[in-house]
Amino acid sequence: MTVTVKPKTWPGAIREVTLGAGSRQPLTIGGGKGLPLHTFEAPFPHRPLLALEITDVDPPRWVDTVRAPWDGALGRPDVAARRAVEEYGADVVMLHLVGTHPDRGDRSPAEAVEATRQVLDAVRVPLIVKGPGGGSRQNDVLVRVAEEFRGEGLVLHSAAQEDYKSLAAVTVAYGHVLVAESPIDLNIAKQLNILLSDANVDLDRVLIDPMTGGLGYGLEYAYSVMQRIRLAALGGDRMLNAPVICLVGDEAWKAKEVKVDGTPAAIWGDRGKRGVHWEIATALPLLEAGADLLVLRHPEALAEVRRVVDGWFVPGR
Amino acid sequence: MALTGLQIFKLLPNTNCKKCACPTCLAFAMKLAAGKESLDKCPDASPEARAALGAASAPPIRAVTVGHGERAITVGEETVFFRHEKTFVHRPGLFRVLDASTPASAIEDRLTDWSAIRIDRAGEVFRVDGIAVVESPGSPEFAPAAAQAAAAHGLPVAILAATAKGAAAAAEPIKDRRPLIVPPAGADPGPFVALAARLGAALVVSGADLDSLAAAAADAARAGVADILLEPPGDDLATLHKHLTLIRRGALERIHPGLAYPVFLRAGAGEFSKAVLGTATFASIMAVADSGGETWMPLWTLRQNIYTDPQQPLRMDPGIYAIGEPTDASPLLVTTNFSLTYFTVSTELDGAGVACHLAVVDAEGLSVLTAWSAGKFSGDRVGKALREMKAAEHVSHRTVIIPGYVAVISGELEDALGDGWQVLTGPQEASDIGPFFRDVWETARPK
Repeated sequence: MTVTVKPKTWPGAIREVTLGAGSRQPLTIGGGKGLPLHTFEAPFPHRPLLALEITDVDPPRWVDTVRAPWDGALGRPDVAARRAVEEYGADVVMLHLVGTHPDRGDRSPAEAVEATRQVLDAVRVPLIVKGPGGGSRQNDVLVRVAEEFRGEGLVLHSAAQEDYKSLAAVTVAYGHVLVAESPIDLNIAKQLNILLSDANVDLDRVLIDPMTGGLGYGLEYAYSVMQRIRLAALGGDRMLNAPVICLVGDEAWKAKEVKVDGTPAAIWGDRGKRGVHWEIATALPLLEAGADLLVLRHPEALAEVRRVVDGWFVPGR
Repeated sequence: MALTGLQIFKLLPNTNCKKCACPTCLAFAMKLAAGKESLDKCPDASPEARAALGAASAPPIRAVTVGHGERAITVGEETVFFRHEKTFVHRPGLFRVLDASTPASAIEDRLTDWSAIRIDRAGEVFRVDGIAVVESPGSPEFAPAAAQAAAAHGLPVAILAATAKGAAAAAEPIKDRRPLIVPPAGADPGPFVALAARLGAALVVSGADLDSLAAAAADAARAGVADILLEPPGDDLATLHKHLTLIRRGALERIHPGLAYPVFLRAGAGEFSKAVLGTATFASIMAVADSGGETWMPLWTLRQNIYTDPQQPLRMDPGIYAIGEPTDASPLLVTTNFSLTYFTVSTELDGAGVACHLAVVDAEGLSVLTAWSAGKFSGDRVGKALREMKAAEHVSHRTVIIPGYVAVISGELEDALGDGWQVLTGPQEASDIGPFFRDVWETARPK
């Protein structure tokens, strides 16, 4: 008796979104026609991409174990960008403008533009630009960056349901890609894409950030909402079939478990390795739940996730 | 496949005798189909009907128990593919690999350490679930002693055998402890099947593809092995993941009886990513070679995340939690018992380096704003909770900091607490706790 498990086929597919344009070497994500990583039964024209996070200023909240590989580059976005791409093999760089936050440096939009320019001059990969978080400063900063670097296909992170109009406008006007962020909620993710669509944003230029929970801190909520979003997308919902971006590093390295020198060693092990493992164990389940673009922080985590992805998406399989 | 009400009705006597307390046989059949009644209530049901219904109501994946006593572990009985459909039933057992050729005294030390591990995290206790004793091909004589030592610690034992003879020598003395026998890859299954059947032990079967795997399981079942686990083929993660997926899908669709079993995996030294994918995806028992906490802590935590009830928010036990080493002059903050809220707030407090008391109030596991909207985080309710947890005995001052989103409850809370208590409104976002202590607390703090 042969065992025949019927392959699953779906009416929908994930949209293809191209990151980077102009002086960038563009890369495309999405296009998959099956459940995430189910390469054995569905075509996936593009493999998931891996980004590394760099910052405009020295990020005081990064723990020593993730600062170490960036020694000499923290707060020097051009140096960090080159290291991320040339040494660590990132497909994409995310410049986190953490220093523009009113409580973390209060740097001006002009300074944000300057940091972005340094990165664009240093590397040719697509660039994600992340603002300081919700609020008016986020818009001031990202709008200026979007205006200044028109046609570069920057990935602007992020617009939210309460405040999306300014970023929607500059995405359309200057040819960028917009990240639509929703708080671990399928309905809000869908609603926001409808709003963006109504604001004339081409949904082929939108990524969903379902808000990542780090391992031990809500990972399962992100995991399940992403699986549900992906099922809806494959079922044909064109307001939910955008590729998904996950800010893995930011969440994983916040965990108490990556910071403490736990004892005994038999239980906690090596703190440096524990941090890298924490990031990997956040990234891989999210990859499985449908992430198309993972933003990591530690190059060793990137290297391991890269090994997994490359082994999976072997051409011709 | 589950039977429909009409299919069941055809198996019933159709006498409408009402002995089952239903008005008609059809009504009883409908209740059976919905799982709301048991066929035992029908005294006249034929043996054929019992057999048919029994087979149809069996879970799509069999239960397998390894070990004996308090720490025995049961796996299998899963009913869904995605965790959002319904809570996964049994957390996978994470077994620690023990090389049997290690000197006996070192084995004893390790087992003592490993069996004593207990980590309390968010309402769950993390422990080493079992020991996977590796029979060294060159020195099979050590495996029985190691297996017995592990069993003596009360831990479930898997025997990663090199030979059938070695498996027999290790399993025989602990056969009452329900060991799990794991043959080496590619071995002739015959002697292992015979051994497991004779001892009543659980057995792992393997195969080069899904066909041979399912056939091996069916053969073992026919030979009298009751407890079977499937070791899916796959030298690379993509192939392994494919088989994990197809086994679960095939089991749920009941396409072959040989797939209706839980899954066994081995994660060798350095195979952390494999262990992560196995934990997230359908592994039931996994032998993990790396023993360091940097491997186990993330695996335990991932398992906790994946195997929680997707409908139920994680909750903390209400009470006053110490962040750092607070004194009676340290700040007192209050938040809800939604675990995610607690973890976020406590992580930021840790990061800010502020020792304090964090009062976690029972808000039925809801986050701050949701709890407040639902009336579970009102001034009265928070005040009552703070009195019940004797907040006044933890601090010498009379100031409590509330989340910024519920600034509106401050008056009501001051009234509810009385006794000179003052309410200070904190930041809306946990990430602003650091600046709050720097800018606001320093001036507003009780002097």
